[in-house]
Amino acid sequence: MRKPVLFFPILFFLLSVHAAFSQQADRITGFFPGISFLRFVDLVEEETSYRFYLKESDVKDLTVNLEARQHRLEEVLAVIFDKTDLKFSISGEQEVFISRGEKMLVAFAPDYFRQNTVGTSSLVQDEFVRNRRYTVGTPGHGAEATLSGVITSLESQKPIEGAVVYERESQRQTITNKEGRYQLTLPKGNQTLLIQNIGGYTEQRLLDIQGDAALDITIGEGIFSLSEVVVRSGALTNVSRPEMGVQSLSVQQLRKLPAVMGEVDIIRGILTMPGVNTAGEASVGFNVRGGAADQNLILLDQNTLYNPSHLFGFFSAVNSDMVQGVELYKAGIPASYGGRLSSVLQVTPKTGRQDKIGGSGGIGPLTSRLSLDGPLGENTTFVVGARLTYSDWLLDYLEERADLGASRAQFGDFNASIQQQLGEKDKLRASAYYSMDKFQFDPDTVYSYSNLNYALTWTHYFNDELEADFSLGQDKYDFAVRGEDNPLNSYLYGFDISQTFAKAVFRQEKGDRHLLSYGIHGIGYDLNPGKIDPYGAESIVIPDEVAREKGLEASVFLGDEFEVSEKLTLSGGVRLNWFGFFGPQTLPEYASGEPYFPENIIGDTSYGKGDLIKSYLGPELRLSGRYALNNWSSIKAGVNTMRQSIHLLSNSSVITPTDTWKLSDAFIRPQTGVQYALGYFRNLENNAIEFSAELYYRSMQNLLDYRSGATLVLNDRIEQDVLVTKGKAYGLELYLKKVTGKLNGSLAYTYSRSLMLTDPSERKEQVNRSDWYPSNFDQPHTANLVLNYELSRRVNTTLAGKYSTGRPVTLPVAKFEYGGSERVYFADRNSFRIPDYFRLDLSVNLEGNHKVNKIAHGSWSLGVYNILGRDNAYSVYYIPEGGKLSGYQLSIFAEPIPFVSYNFRF
Amino acid sequence: MSKAFWTVFFLVGLLQACRTPFDPEVASQASDFLVVEGYLDSEGKASKLKLSRSAPLDAEGPFVAETGATVTLNSASGESYLLDEVEDGSYLFEANVSEEQSYYLEIVLRNGERYRSTEMRPIVTPDIIDADFLLDEEGVEVFITTQGDQFADDFLWTYDETWIYRPRIRVPYIYDAAIGNVRDRREGEHIDLCFKNEESPDILLETSSRFEEQVVFRQTITEIPRGDERIMERYSILISQKALEEDAVKFWEILKKNTEDIGSIFSPLPSLIGGNIFSVDGLDRPVVGQVSLGVVRQKRLYIDLVDVSPWNYLDPEFNDCVVEQEPVLSRFYDPVFVSGGVLPARAHIPEGGTMVIGYFPTSRRCGDCTLYASPIKPDFWEDE
Repeated sequence: MRKPVLFFPILFFLLSVHAAFSQQADRITGFFPGISFLRFVDLVEEETSYRFYLKESDVKDLTVNLEARQHRLEEVLAVIFDKTDLKFSISGEQEVFISRGEKMLVAFAPDYFRQNTVGTSSLVQDEFVRNRRYTVGTPGHGAEATLSGVITSLESQKPIEGAVVYERESQRQTITNKEGRYQLTLPKGNQTLLIQNIGGYTEQRLLDIQGDAALDITIGEGIFSLSEVVVRSGALTNVSRPEMGVQSLSVQQLRKLPAVMGEVDIIRGILTMPGVNTAGEASVGFNVRGGAADQNLILLDQNTLYNPSHLFGFFSAVNSDMVQGVELYKAGIPASYGGRLSSVLQVTPKTGRQDKIGGSGGIGPLTSRLSLDGPLGENTTFVVGARLTYSDWLLDYLEERADLGASRAQFGDFNASIQQQLGEKDKLRASAYYSMDKFQFDPDTVYSYSNLNYALTWTHYFNDELEADFSLGQDKYDFAVRGEDNPLNSYLYGFDISQTFAKAVFRQEKGDRHLLSYGIHGIGYDLNPGKIDPYGAESIVIPDEVAREKGLEASVFLGDEFEVSEKLTLSGGVRLNWFGFFGPQTLPEYASGEPYFPENIIGDTSYGKGDLIKSYLGPELRLSGRYALNNWSSIKAGVNTMRQSIHLLSNSSVITPTDTWKLSDAFIRPQTGVQYALGYFRNLENNAIEFSAELYYRSMQNLLDYRSGATLVLNDRIEQDVLVTKGKAYGLELYLKKVTGKLNGSLAYTYSRSLMLTDPSERKEQVNRSDWYPSNFDQPHTANLVLNYELSRRVNTTLAGKYSTGRPVTLPVAKFEYGGSERVYFADRNSFRIPDYFRLDLSVNLEGNHKVNKIAHGSWSLGVYNILGRDNAYSVYYIPEGGKLSGYQLSIFAEPIPFVSYNFRF
Repeated sequence: MSKAFWTVFFLVGLLQACRTPFDPEVASQASDFLVVEGYLDSEGKASKLKLSRSAPLDAEGPFVAETGATVTLNSASGESYLLDEVEDGSYLFEANVSEEQSYYLEIVLRNGERYRSTEMRPIVTPDIIDADFLLDEEGVEVFITTQGDQFADDFLWTYDETWIYRPRIRVPYIYDAAIGNVRDRREGEHIDLCFKNEESPDILLETSSRFEEQVVFRQTITEIPRGDERIMERYSILISQKALEEDAVKFWEILKKNTEDIGSIFSPLPSLIGGNIFSVDGLDRPVVGQVSLGVVRQKRLYIDLVDVSPWNYLDPEFNDCVVEQEPVLSRFYDPVFVSGGVLPARAHIPEGGTMVIGYFPTSRRCGDCTLYASPIKPDFWEDE
């Protein structure tokens, strides 16, 4: 990788070198006793205004051994480069270009770079494009000027979304939007503009900014992807962005992580982040900062995914080929998002390339994937992708060796989107997603579920300051079980959710210091919490149905990112959330002041279609601020309040697909929560290493816990089983990340607690006598390690490790005789823990060669999951054996699991 | 469902899922408390209330009965019925009480601790409509059909099985030390007809309102796989049907869940079990038990081998059982038969002779069913 020396470590300064420079600028004086040339360069740059541009590899063996007194740089370099084939040239702006063999030409026509697009893939020119200073704009008044333009990919000519455009000294930055557009206001004069493409290069342009200018830049995207600087969209922003608790992950990063059965999995990637945990190894449900799994809003573009998993939680339901990146908001959630208590996981889908039709795919032991994208005419691009399992061969194979009955499993997912540019200012995008799962463990019972999401988004640019997205769509989830054990009792059970949403988000720049976003968001819910029907003619099962629930959620929001001063940035917002529960519905009336018991029902009320039964209104406050201590460290603080009106009814320790959803109604209030967070962020080694420490405290109201023995399936009076429960969670997250170099990776440690309390006023039952008890996912110590080592451009290896305290369980402590048998008595809720969890995974990614003109680029990914073969407990349970109760722990991946998959793109 | 989930975990983990023993350190927290069990029949049928103590999980041996307690059932109008202790920890209730009022149970332990139940109203359990069995290749399925009504919606079924147990080899003779000779067995000495009895630990619950007209049709009570010992000759099952109030259903469901469902991954969290008994003195220690008051409906069913044959019962445990070829002659009766380990099975009358000069022996384990079951015919037993 060619790296400008400027990026090179400050480390050199820390070593003592006896060199002194004269007062007279640009003359070199000092004793250089055999120091490396790079160190020499640093010393010179330190004391003079010379700036060096070179290839590190050209000078790596070169040492400087001389004493200079008021010498000119040319003289000194001539001595140093004597007997080497290195050449140097020095421009009028004191830029020193060092090249091997041929001397670099530094005098260009002054208007050489006025052309709108600069960029090329040729090595020499590339070097030159980066190191040359361009004069842009025409001189005008004011100390600052605004640059704007489009960042496009060199290979695909597609605009690059999400590229970070920033200036090195002032740390001012912006991110390109879906059209690759950026706009950045910078001080006039010499500036270094860096363009960071997610998962690609950091490109550099030296600018002499005279005034407002348009600057389109084409950058290489990933031909040299083995040595690319990966995922820095959140990297530089570590210190400077006003929000805290935000984690980003690119698909390139994800691909390097060891995968179970070769399936690249976004949610497993998320689990390497601090503050994110899971209750069970095979559970896609994840817990963020002590919140329940249903408190995460999972957005695929604009659509809500209700079940982001395949195979009951083994794999995530989003095809990684269709994803550009994911961003998880644990705190500092922008006002434009809402509806869940703990976090927002925004999955950004891929957009179609513009130059030609290309694609990617993969073949793994369990599934195959194929996706295609490209232009459909001049202004239209498309993306389609599918993933299908062929796991049945595995089942057949296993069936001969183990008694698996007639197990069958199928799953698949499909993505499609089409984007149409309508003139200069408008863009229309239609997208759809479908996933399905079907299982059969024995011939009699079939489980199935599916997600169906589609949306239409219209983006309009009103002017340079204002743009808006208008979207409309629907999210559906549906689950069914068919039981045919006995013709008389055959049934079909299921539940489904359908939500229709409309959202308008405006983004507006107000002067230089305000970035406003405001809009409205409406969701109409139509939910069937559960329904059973007889299946087949002989069945005598009585159809039963929990009344359908209808709700409407409307929010208006306003957020502002306000740069108060260079040091202080505030980001704040308000979201006013209204939720209404609508008829038709017949609800019981409970005697006032009495608990919701069947015996306290004094009558019932019928509501007609569209009648408003109950509504809740509440503001949500989002506030966070960053105070920059200096260029490389900052302090951030924030407070967030959230509301949630749709709840997952679950009383098992991990999410199961049979868990159904429920809207807030006349009895179940929306869950509310507030989070306070404080953090210290610091970048080290010239942004090569990022460090952050975050403290948080959350309190939550109206959580759902259930009285003992509550049945949640087909329960039409769930309020009679719900216990009014409060929650609190607090923790400290430490995160260290090295983003560059042959060896890179991250280390995260989290201390966190998540506790619940049955409200003392609850009269149905008080869990643990109304003391605080650990929630099912209270895991105080968690550590995650990801180490990635690039052996060469084509080979890189990743080691991933995870440690966490065992999750709480409720264990039997005594036995007694009842009903003719020995029975067990369980201790207080969650008063024990399963053994601690520890796992190491290893993967190796082998890339094919990178000739640009190859038909397809292939890569192999192989590795071992749980390389130590540790049998981590997934759960513990007791079964009577020989008249005695024996405890067992169940491990799922108790042995090393090797995997291999082949991926390609063209 | 639990088995199904197990299966998928085995499957997807490429058979990597495994279980290993788990033995956490459990403090002796709350492992000794009172356990109360009983469904008291309100129509005067003898019914028992059982009081016992819980034990730590790793305790060996039987549970300790709570003896010497004073147990009374009190009505709202002031009548009081004392339950006498008929066996250790077993208190008998035999009274026909009015179904029109409510009652509570009062327990005073030997050590003075006082417990009481919440108010109970007797439930009149509807009759069993039909109880019968079905035969297929798998074996026999015993089922019941009943119908709920407005007072009795939830049912608990328990059953008690009794069957004739025969030894592999019938031994009609006995060595009588008093006469120093072998003679025929007399009344009370027979060891070739025994009865085995088992109380089922299964908790069978069903809600009748789930079905049309509240008819619970052919609810499976138990299944007897083909070749099972229980139908080696004649089998009897007594099915008890007990209607439960809603609270009791919850108790039994928790009991059932905590016992049967704990092995599954997606099983719900174990629930705290309580019941309708509480400490009067407000002691902060658990007490477990759900006492119900109501009518117990029962139906007894007999199944004979001829009803199900070919049944093919064969216990391989006794495949080595033979009557020895070598007779024990009379002068050896004393040393051979005295210990009781060897039994005279068949008389030896030499060819052409008329006198028994010895007996072909067999070992006791092959011929004595009292080693495995009770030789006493239960009172209820009806022969074909």
